[in-house]
Amino acid sequence: MNNLSDMIWIEWRKAMRSRMPLWTALGSLFMPLGIAFLIFVARNSDISQKLGLISAKANLIAYAATDWPAYLGLTGVIIAAAGFLLFVIIISWVFGREFSDGTVKDLLAVPVPRSSILAAKFLVVAVWAAGLSLIILIAGLITGAVMQLPGGSIGVALQGSVIVAITGFLVIVVVLPFAFFASVGRGYLLPIGVAFLTLIMTNILALAGWGEYFPWAVPGLLAQGKSALTLVSYLIVFLTGMAGVIATYLWWKYADQNR
Amino acid sequence: MNLAIETENLGKCYRDVRAVERLSLRVAEGEIYAFLGLNGAGKTTTIRMLLGMIKPTTGYAQVLQTRVRLGNREPWESVGYLVETPHCYAELTVTENLEVARRLHPGTPHEAVGRIIERMGLAEYADRRAGNLSQGNTQRLGLAKALLHSPKLLLLDEPANGLDPAGIVEIRELLLELTREQGVTVFMSSHILAEVSRLAQRIGIIHKGRLLQELNIDELEQNRKKRLLLRARDVVSACQVLIAAGQPAEIQKDGSIELKNAAAVEHPDDINCLLVKAGTPPTQLMVEEEELELYFLRLVGMDGGLQHE
Repeated sequence: MNNLSDMIWIEWRKAMRSRMPLWTALGSLFMPLGIAFLIFVARNSDISQKLGLISAKANLIAYAATDWPAYLGLTGVIIAAAGFLLFVIIISWVFGREFSDGTVKDLLAVPVPRSSILAAKFLVVAVWAAGLSLIILIAGLITGAVMQLPGGSIGVALQGSVIVAITGFLVIVVVLPFAFFASVGRGYLLPIGVAFLTLIMTNILALAGWGEYFPWAVPGLLAQGKSALTLVSYLIVFLTGMAGVIATYLWWKYADQNR
Repeated sequence: MNLAIETENLGKCYRDVRAVERLSLRVAEGEIYAFLGLNGAGKTTTIRMLLGMIKPTTGYAQVLQTRVRLGNREPWESVGYLVETPHCYAELTVTENLEVARRLHPGTPHEAVGRIIERMGLAEYADRRAGNLSQGNTQRLGLAKALLHSPKLLLLDEPANGLDPAGIVEIRELLLELTREQGVTVFMSSHILAEVSRLAQRIGIIHKGRLLQELNIDELEQNRKKRLLLRARDVVSACQVLIAAGQPAEIQKDGSIELKNAAAVEHPDDINCLLVKAGTPPTQLMVEEEELELYFLRLVGMDGGLQHE
């Protein structure tokens, strides 16, 4: 693909010069640290009694993460839900900002194929999201160790980390269609609105038992170690990601750009 | 004659709104062509169609002998453009924004960035974040991006927007120099006739999506209404003398006498002789050309009561 390295340089520079990497890194750190805090609260009855509602939540989390395997599973679920929202914000920013900032017109009548421009954007989103997944995982491992969770071993940590990593990868794939929503909506509102709707649908469909056929539910089910997932589930995830990339490309190539 | 821009029946409809209708333009290489119209006349839509950003509903456009199609890569390596308000990446510096533009035009040498910064008077702001630039300097940055890769054709939408008078003169000189020395073609839109008349060789006037008139700059001079205004100590007597001599003279509200016929406008000396001989010599004699703005408004039918009566 022509000029891809130049396009990656452009996208990377734009991302790194903004405040988004800092905010998203802080957002991703907040998740494992938040869980660690809730487990800490649940373990200390003095603090727990003073905190009321937080205490109830803390007990719930502590119940869900009694040992290392459960704790790492919970980390995967966090990536599947909160990580999903964080990645949607990233992809909405990378694609939607060109429209909301009016810079898209400078990318349209240039001798670089739009496929290269879009590929660079998708790659930067993927690397960025992978980096955040890694931050969540490492922070989770450190806080788990600090809390001295039972049932830990290198094997358990490795197996849990692999599931968390695969969950992160699947979330990145199902987030790709949000580039299309950011482009069609010419900004951030549509993709973020659709993301919340998707989360609601994910919960409903997972409860109804159809989660394995709903691509956005698959990463969460994997993190929870649900056995209902089949090859078809992963194929649906892959096709959803591909459909998002193709729809985004076709829209950038053929839609009227009048802003 | 090679054409830098050619459109045939180019049109764009948005549901019931006809933004541009049956636009047929020919812009020769090396020419400065001004596309004049009021806000919403269809100038920007036309420029976006020329740049392949909008698909025409009817007709076609050719730019540098290449048929424009949505999403194509040609002929953009030789085209520089500025559409509407210039936008840039606010978090990047001026230099970085230009580096982005350079990488979007493969083959443009590294030195081009420094060169265009100097040429556009942006050296002082080279390391400043683009988001902190004034409107005028943002416009300069937009023009710098358009010129960076030494294009053969420039499509500029209101290039003087936001510039101070010195900046306007500077950009005018720069565009003239580019056409004179490098044979660059400039297609620029504007809503200010006085501004483009100093620069363009040809002017196309668009109104409500339709091309009303195309004229050379000398035709513009011919088409503008002219009148002879004169004053005398005894205005009534002077006017009677002129009418008696077959001149269609009229006394204006401000006490001057107006003559709009070609004979009077072209030979004010004859009118002077006539009045002197009649004993009512003029105290002031002046041939006045219709202001460019009034001419423009008259063309687009929005002159109201402003025109010379």
